[in-house]
Amino acid sequence: MADLAIRQPLPLETPLIEGQPTYGDISRDVARVVESRPPRFWYIALAVSGTLTLVLLGVLTHLVRTGIGIWGNNQPVGWAWDITNFVFWIGIGHAGTLISAILFLFRQRWRTSINRAAEAMTIFAVMCAGIFPLMHTGRPWRAYWLFPIPNQDLVLWQNFRSPLMWDVFAVSTYFTVSLLFWYVGMIPDLATLRDRATTRIRQLVYGLLSLGWRGSARHWSHYEKAYLLLAGLSTPLVLSVHSIVSFDFAVSILPGWHATIFPPYFVAGAIFSGFAMVITLMIIARRVYRLEHLITMTHMENMCKILLATGTIVGYSYAVEFFTAFFSGNPYERYVFINRVTGPYAWAIWTMFACNVFAPQLFWFRMFRRSIPVMFAVSIIVNVGMWFERFNIIVTSLHRDFLPSSWGHFTPTIYDVLTFAGSVGLFLTLFLLFLRFLPVIAISEVKGVIPSPGGKGGH
Amino acid sequence: MPTTTSVPQPQAAFSYRLEESLWRRGRNVLWIIALAAWAACLFGWATDRYNFLGSYLVHFMFFLTIGWGAMFFVMVQHLTSATWSITLRRLMETIMITVAPVTLLFLPVALGLDVLYKWAAPGFFDPHNPDLAFKRAFFNPPFFLIRAVVYLFVWGVLAFVLYRISVTQDEGNHQESISDARTWSAPGLLVLTITVTMAGVDWVMSLDPFWYSTIFGVYVFSGGALAFIALLILVALALRAAGALGDVITVEHYHDLGKWLFALTVWWAYIAFSQYMLIWYANLPEETAFFHHRAEGSWRYLSLLLVVGHFLLPFLVLLSRAAKRNLTVLGLTAAWILVMHGMDLHWLILPSVHPHGFHLHWLDVATFAGVGSLFGLVFWYRLRSHPMVPVGDLRLAASIAHQNQ
Repeated sequence: MADLAIRQPLPLETPLIEGQPTYGDISRDVARVVESRPPRFWYIALAVSGTLTLVLLGVLTHLVRTGIGIWGNNQPVGWAWDITNFVFWIGIGHAGTLISAILFLFRQRWRTSINRAAEAMTIFAVMCAGIFPLMHTGRPWRAYWLFPIPNQDLVLWQNFRSPLMWDVFAVSTYFTVSLLFWYVGMIPDLATLRDRATTRIRQLVYGLLSLGWRGSARHWSHYEKAYLLLAGLSTPLVLSVHSIVSFDFAVSILPGWHATIFPPYFVAGAIFSGFAMVITLMIIARRVYRLEHLITMTHMENMCKILLATGTIVGYSYAVEFFTAFFSGNPYERYVFINRVTGPYAWAIWTMFACNVFAPQLFWFRMFRRSIPVMFAVSIIVNVGMWFERFNIIVTSLHRDFLPSSWGHFTPTIYDVLTFAGSVGLFLTLFLLFLRFLPVIAISEVKGVIPSPGGKGGH
Repeated sequence: MPTTTSVPQPQAAFSYRLEESLWRRGRNVLWIIALAAWAACLFGWATDRYNFLGSYLVHFMFFLTIGWGAMFFVMVQHLTSATWSITLRRLMETIMITVAPVTLLFLPVALGLDVLYKWAAPGFFDPHNPDLAFKRAFFNPPFFLIRAVVYLFVWGVLAFVLYRISVTQDEGNHQESISDARTWSAPGLLVLTITVTMAGVDWVMSLDPFWYSTIFGVYVFSGGALAFIALLILVALALRAAGALGDVITVEHYHDLGKWLFALTVWWAYIAFSQYMLIWYANLPEETAFFHHRAEGSWRYLSLLLVVGHFLLPFLVLLSRAAKRNLTVLGLTAAWILVMHGMDLHWLILPSVHPHGFHLHWLDVATFAGVGSLFGLVFWYRLRSHPMVPVGDLRLAASIAHQNQ
């Protein structure tokens, strides 16, 4: 891989992996998660998340039978929680791509312990995101109309000028490439699981999934080239997906939506929320499966630094938006921002500021960056804040636009809440299944960042 | 996997300083250019203040944005503990410290405020229009100048402190310098971003007093970061040609610089596209005015040139690994990008001065040489006062030995 060269630990660096494990130790420690009976925590968590997933199925069934009127969407707030949730989940996914693609190209070796789980999280988050626009169409069985393929039902040609159309392409490309990246990266580890398998079924399933991997030099050479190429392909996707999601809003002329800073601002926010989710999940996983020596405090601290950096970028964007609202001399623009901080949804924006801008500032201090309880709390607070950010952008701009006679108010219904809670359940269920059946840490990559048995640098 | 014995090491006998005769020659050339150019600038100021100030602002911003880029990179390298770039760090810092003379060079802009900026005329913003209350409070000469002093002070302090810390490291307190540099870099980056954004709004965006774009600060900053990497490549190549650096900067480092050049070319294009596309799509007259001016007369061709020259060409060239590792190709691309950065600033600033079309003026040459020679002199004097690589950094050997793949 491209980062082979700097894998040689420098004398001044603290080792990334603690306890000086051997290659065999790493294989065993990671495979153990999949091979042994899951701990009690796993069953309890699956019961809860599984129940929520069933709730999701129930609500969606009711929604399809009745119509999206069961949600609180109204006129003028035609987009509300559904699009908020869509942007929220898409954003969560970004950490995975950033870690697997951009940090790889930046030769950040610490990514190796967390990239697998983050990539899995990306895929599950995009799946959750997909539910919302699909259901918002009201007739999900006609979803193929979104694709430019001939359809018999009516003479319909997709509106390529609509950013919602661009979303379809951006998100499906993103999903495909993320899935490929995840899977290709996993092949050597699947082969490890196959080789260690003790039951016929495991041998068969992992054998099929590992595509005949034998670990020969030729395999590795092809694998590393493919990985580098996929990293290169994924890098623009980190920027493009959320930029296009931001276009959904920014191409309009609605005050509070139409801002040229939206693309990079959305991307920073996405990475911010994604890392918060990785921190939340990793804190639990490393504790439950005793992986603290592989996902060390150094990893956690680095993620906290990224949280601080991206949270501050998000804060910068808020500031620039507010400044420009006043600076522009545009009375509508100005009103929207005054309304955001003082209007009926003011509580939401102050929650957002507190969660996204102020909470991560704790991470200026090393003490907090290395405290598991603090980072666990902040990571959850950040995701609450990022959900509210999307809610603010969407609802406060829509509920009061140019004409006071067409102003309105949005109140969520129980179905809004249940759909969102259900999507959280689906996400967690998929993640728990991932923990159960697939290697949670990239075994072969972590082996690359520990000193080789000969004692002479990386492998 | 190369072992540490087979790669270039910092050589104890090598001083990493310029040969005195070479340095003198460079200094003499710079002084001659400076004197001639400033004489021409003074003549321009006296006879054609309007054109002079337009060209002057372009070239002042040209070197200033590069200084911002340098500050940004120095701090980012500290914060990420990057190893590969240690061997380049002193050159980065020497470019960074050129921000020092900006304080002086801002004077013509301050003195020519009423010529350059339409809003500086009393009563420009209708005093009876409540929507313009913020603009009236924000854009008036005293407040504008106070802000400028704040920016200049902040940049001066940041550049000076970071430079100082690095130089102290040469004398041997490695760990302390590293932690000092990191302590300054994190808040420094934040303060730099805020001041750069505000300076972009004040000095460039306000040339069109009613136009606004939230991404503008990021746009100016990204152009500067790109131009800085381009200049760094050229400086390193020039020193290499003069045989002044031994082999501490290898093709591996150029390859990585080439990757940065590529990444920032794409980043600049991403920001420029975001700004253009969103304004074009929404089609609001108060926003499209900016691009309308730049589609008028020969400005249209400059706009198109930026799409092709600032993005497409370098993008296609730098995609290839071989190009990034070929020093001639890399050098030419870097030079081309610097020209394009100049064109970008022409495109941002001069449509307010020459609304009907792009044309080069003799004052463009004079102001470029004037501002550039002063930046060059600061660079040149600083370059002599310390070794050209951070010899006190214990990671230097690892940095020199850096390999891609």
